Amino acid sequence: MSIVNRPGVCESYAFPNWLRTLITVGLRWLPAVLIVVAVVGFWEAYVRIFDVQKWLLPAPSVIAKTIGVDAGLLWGHTLATIEEIVVGFALALVCGFALATAIGLSRTIERALYPFIIASQTIPIIVIAPMLLIWVGYGLAPKVIVVALICFFPIVVNMVDGLKSVDSDVVSLMRTLGANRWAIFLKLQVPTSLPYLFSGLRIAIAFSVIGAVIGEWVGSSEGLGYLMIRSKPQFLTERVFAAIVILSALGVSLFAMVGIVERFALPWWHKEHGSRT
Amino acid sequence: MIGRLFCCHENLDFETGNDTMAISQQHNEAMASQSEQFHETRIIDVVGLGKVFDQNGQSLTVMERVNFHAYEGEFVSIIGPSGCGKSTLLNIIAGLDDQTEGSLKLRGEEASDRLGTVGYMQQKDLLLPWRSVLDNAIFGLELQGVSKREARDRASALMEQFGLDGFESEYPSALSGGMRQRVAFLRTVLADQQMFLLDEPFGALDALNRSQIHEWLLGLWERLNKTIVMVTHDVDEAIFLSDRVYVMSARPGTMRLVANVDLPRPRYLEMVTSEGFVELKTELLSAIRRESAS
Repeated sequence: MSIVNRPGVCESYAFPNWLRTLITVGLRWLPAVLIVVAVVGFWEAYVRIFDVQKWLLPAPSVIAKTIGVDAGLLWGHTLATIEEIVVGFALALVCGFALATAIGLSRTIERALYPFIIASQTIPIIVIAPMLLIWVGYGLAPKVIVVALICFFPIVVNMVDGLKSVDSDVVSLMRTLGANRWAIFLKLQVPTSLPYLFSGLRIAIAFSVIGAVIGEWVGSSEGLGYLMIRSKPQFLTERVFAAIVILSALGVSLFAMVGIVERFALPWWHKEHGSRT
Repeated sequence: MIGRLFCCHENLDFETGNDTMAISQQHNEAMASQSEQFHETRIIDVVGLGKVFDQNGQSLTVMERVNFHAYEGEFVSIIGPSGCGKSTLLNIIAGLDDQTEGSLKLRGEEASDRLGTVGYMQQKDLLLPWRSVLDNAIFGLELQGVSKREARDRASALMEQFGLDGFESEYPSALSGGMRQRVAFLRTVLADQQMFLLDEPFGALDALNRSQIHEWLLGLWERLNKTIVMVTHDVDEAIFLSDRVYVMSARPGTMRLVANVDLPRPRYLEMVTSEGFVELKTELLSAIRRESAS
């Protein structure tokens, strides 16, 4: 059918589908892109106009160039950091899920464990991290533990809230249909808690990057945190900033990945509430 | 006069099953076939039921001396002012709660472990948002241990009858209120319990949806041959659907009246304007008004 014959047809119908999708997505992220462009532009101009020294505040162009030149070095350290984050996050997810399940199933366990779970978050991670070096040695283990310690808290708290937020009328309904305690847990409480769990995972994945960097600062021989702490005394400020840029990009990517997993894991939630990322 | 009112709080034995049946048959030949399917068996028999809740050390009598019964295959409605303990009565019959006095018999037996044998549908559809329409419908079967494949087959066969054809894989959020209620109905029907309790099942629907679902429900009930006990605020709804209508008093709730509805079956929407219908409605409304005022 000819477009001309259909009055009121939007001009974008003339574009192929993929291009329309691209334009839609592009427009959605336009505000974020504009902010980045504005900040970077202002920063670049400020550094150039006032001739700020590179070791004090490197211009965005210098940082970009450093990322290009040191790509091999940065890549190696990035991989090390990613490994710590992924293993630590996975550990937090498994432990957090198990803890939340235990708390959700038993009031006694909740009363016994919850105070300690909260207390564990009041001890500054910066105090625990050096102790971990003494207890479990250098290498991957102490970083993974720091990441897991930071991540498990939002996972547990959110999932426990989710397990408790069931509709008591649905529980009644299930009982009149012959459900036992276990069926109510598996078929009602766990599915109800999943959107809450994913909210916890979003917070946790953002914290995980910080956890990995702290773990590396305290004692390590690789990773972006290690690279930052080694580059600073050498006045390689542009390299510190390069590491920061990569860490930010890493954080945003991981956050987006949680969103994508959620989209596939909870298609119903997505249809009801729309995209959150 | 098409309806017969009985006073039931003065004499416990005033209204026996035989009386009721005799009057039905005498009044309307069309009712005879309907009466036969009741088998004159009291599938639900409640005598002198009372419930006292303990609230912060104070005892609150929600209902007392409630006498109520339903025959096999009968459609019975309970109307009454808000807070009269109608829902408490249903909760006790379903087994979600226990009475503090009186007796409850299901199929002639004291049923202490009745939970799971009585279907219960509430005003909210209570569909699970993460389950498709089909998987919501089979929820009861699944909980009873029927395999998912068999349960889905059974549900699929009924989709058309419930007006849900083509919506099997949709999530409940994509459905209208009336459709959601039908999914909840299908879930109740599939669970295949002998009696259904409906707690204001159409309260959330608009008038148009309501009258459509009334006719549809009657058609369904006539095919299923199950006992239905429905709690409602709506007198029209109670008369249109039921064989008998109970009127409950204000708290502490007890049965004030029971009326036989001798309208012939199958029933049609036009009947709500018939003389007999209006007459019965007027009597019931004035009874309810007396209860609300006291």
